Amino acid sequence: MSLLLFDTILCLLLLALALASILSRQLAHAVILYIAFGLMMALAWARLAAPDLALAEAAIGAGLTGALCFSALAHQQIQLKPDVLSWPQRLWPAVFVLLMLGGVLAALLQLPPTASQLIAVTQAGLGNSGVSHPVTAVLLNFRSWDTLLELVVLLLALLGARQVAPEVKPATSWSLSLSWSRLLAPMVILLAGYLLWAGASQPGGAFQAGALLAAGAVVLRLNQQLSWLSWSNFWIRLLTVSGVLVFVLTALTAILLTPGNTDVVWLRWPPQLAAGIILLVELFATIAIALTLTVLVAGEPASTGAELGCGEGV
Amino acid sequence: MMVVLLVLPLLSALFMLLWPRIAPLLALLTASVCSLVALQLLLLVSQQGSQQVLLAGWPSGLAISLEANSLSSLLILLTALLQLLVGLYAFATHRRDKLGAGFWPLSGMLQLGLTALWLSRDLFNLYVCLELLGIVAVALVSLSGDKAIKPALNYLLLSLFGSLCYLLGVAILYGAYGVLDITVLASQWQADLLSSTALLLMTLGLMLKAALWPLHGWLPAAHAAAPAPVSALLSALVVKGPLFILCLLWLQLAGATQVAAVAPWFAGCGLAALLLGGVSALRTPFAKNMVAYSTVAQLGYAMLALGLLLRFNQPLFAAALWLFVLAHALAKATCFLAVGEITATLGGKRISTLKGASQTMPLAMFAFAVAGGSLIGLPPSGGFLAKWALLQGLWLQGGQLFWLLVIVLATLLSAAYVFRAVVLAFNRADPVAPDFAPRILPQWLALLPALAVWAMALYSEPLLQLLKQEGL
Amino acid sequence: MTDLSPQLLLYIVTAGGLFGIGLYGFIVGPQTLRRILALNIIGAGIFMLMVVLAYRGLADDASLPSTDPVLHALILTGLVVAVSATAFALALLARLNQAKAAQCSQDQLRHKQGPGQ
Repeated sequence: MSLLLFDTILCLLLLALALASILSRQLAHAVILYIAFGLMMALAWARLAAPDLALAEAAIGAGLTGALCFSALAHQQIQLKPDVLSWPQRLWPAVFVLLMLGGVLAALLQLPPTASQLIAVTQAGLGNSGVSHPVTAVLLNFRSWDTLLELVVLLLALLGARQVAPEVKPATSWSLSLSWSRLLAPMVILLAGYLLWAGASQPGGAFQAGALLAAGAVVLRLNQQLSWLSWSNFWIRLLTVSGVLVFVLTALTAILLTPGNTDVVWLRWPPQLAAGIILLVELFATIAIALTLTVLVAGEPASTGAELGCGEGV
Repeated sequence: MMVVLLVLPLLSALFMLLWPRIAPLLALLTASVCSLVALQLLLLVSQQGSQQVLLAGWPSGLAISLEANSLSSLLILLTALLQLLVGLYAFATHRRDKLGAGFWPLSGMLQLGLTALWLSRDLFNLYVCLELLGIVAVALVSLSGDKAIKPALNYLLLSLFGSLCYLLGVAILYGAYGVLDITVLASQWQADLLSSTALLLMTLGLMLKAALWPLHGWLPAAHAAAPAPVSALLSALVVKGPLFILCLLWLQLAGATQVAAVAPWFAGCGLAALLLGGVSALRTPFAKNMVAYSTVAQLGYAMLALGLLLRFNQPLFAAALWLFVLAHALAKATCFLAVGEITATLGGKRISTLKGASQTMPLAMFAFAVAGGSLIGLPPSGGFLAKWALLQGLWLQGGQLFWLLVIVLATLLSAAYVFRAVVLAFNRADPVAPDFAPRILPQWLALLPALAVWAMALYSEPLLQLLKQEGL
Repeated sequence: MTDLSPQLLLYIVTAGGLFGIGLYGFIVGPQTLRRILALNIIGAGIFMLMVVLAYRGLADDASLPSTDPVLHALILTGLVVAVSATAFALALLARLNQAKAAQCSQDQLRHKQGPGQ
């Protein structure tokens, strides 16, 4: 009973935060409310027996998206008067949304209470997958094509964002945060390594580890460290694409390694090598994810912007 | 073979990122090799029937399944060939048009995304492909710099919203049936409220992404703002991706009652797109916007054919649908390249820039007129083949006078906007002077797909056979 | 009408509600940043629905009670894709704002010089 009470409060809080984020007058408030919403969401997912997702949501939904939105806010022009919408402008969308919501909810209530029979199939395949954590097995073995394409999407987001990025203003760093960040960095790397390793048997994995590493790198970056971390550096480029590159090359090698390759099956890992392959792929995916996220959040070092003659901006 | 078609563009795109200098060379090489492999795949499929692969060697349901049937392989071939052609055009003009170095890896990723989409038969994998395609497309549009940022952002937001609607549909279907593989799902399908809601949500998202009327608002601005080679790729290929998934859903999954309920709506949307898109194309003062609105109108034919196919279940409509897609892809590639070449050389964005273009740039104008002929549906072009299949299908059903009238009206409209440009081009009294000497090679490249679309008539019988039996 | 347990029902309705709230925010806007946030809320709603659907496996009385790993993997993939898209959208927005700001300052400059000429 008390659990149901907890659930009710959590759900109401989620809805209230989302609504407040949408309706708040000031954009800054909206972003803060959204971050709070993301954290509550992570809590809800932890409650629903999805700790690895909760970890990812806290890192991405709340942390990363929040950080990105704040940096967007900094670029945003200050509006003297907030846009006020008239009643019809609010009413008609609301009516439309309520109708659509009614339809969707009516359908959702028909969902069967039994889970997919795929669970049993996954459990059966787990033995040959090379890892014991089923989510990692799905991500990097059963449905690895999705994961490969997902890494491509992440890379593309970086390419797109780099292509349109305005130059960043150099900010002066704060000496205390500088010394702290130096202390923090080795710990972050250790923790990320643990998460990556744990992913094979417990909640954790490439993305969570990558996000953590990126968080560390962004902190250092905001304190004017890591100036070599830029797209024009060939090795950085190589490491950033290495997530996808190693994935593809490993898959090609796996085809060559398969004995008697009469029928070539893309992305099939030989069972005895699967554990090693998955760890290798995950390791490079983690590095690539960390670098991509760092460049996405912190942008290029300010010096390249100045060299191009873009100057300090407005 | 499918693996080669997927891996080659991806690997070459990665190498282009590492060594930007050799990017154009690599892109052209990849596109030509892919074209050859795609041709081989098409031949293989037409001889041995469709090829199915379960990725990673796991049992069906757990693994992602890919399927190359004749339609998929035809579309893959089309993608590779257009990539090659557009790549050549971009290479010929990239100095003049200041096309960023970012174009090459992005176009490689575009090829990967499209090929993956044509092959995939897994609902969630299709979602990832859709997102991949959407982000590549927006990144390509934003290559144009400042003027393209606003349309690009708008395109991205709507495209994301479309994908999320699709994803919600996938989540509901997975919740109900516990499978993602389309063929497995089709065998368990029940036409109830749950599946109808999921289908409608997915349709909404896909229609938004494919710019089908009435959700086409983002397309003209985005396609007009992009650089010419990019507009050609977007109009010819990218909008067809979501359309393909839409057909997959309604032809393979949906139950008979669901199909019967939605068919008139599809046909109606197609009709509205034909008429309103045509009128907009006729009224816009800008040359590229005219071509972009024409895409909206021409997608109406595909929608109309899909609606009629669902209603009457006549294989001729399936042939018409995919013939429209093929003919439009080729014709629109020519239109965008030719108009891009003309506006770049004559220096102006308005249709009035075309004045006297038949004298100053006869080859490009000829290409535009030839492609326009296919858009109108003049015999014996590919557009005519498609329209003929549609009319034949309607004739066999009998008593469909209303639809016949609509098609005639739409044809007149498309003739009007094509002739508006052509007539202006033949007004030689006071031609717009070119900013620099017109270049021959890009104009020839623009002409090639237009010639191909007329050459479709030579292969009309095998094409019709292929597409009729396949449907999807 | 429904066979779901009250807890599942509660979370499913919340997920649907989040979709609705996000949809409203996306349509009404008006600022682009808020529409991006709204898209993320829609996404969060959908992912939450998937988490709940995966949770059904635990409530089941099957022989091997566990959450659905396939759905969990799909959500992880979806999260990464969503955050990539958001990052790209925000980069576009930043560029748009910069262009606008440059335009504004130019206009102001012209305005100041105007009377002098």
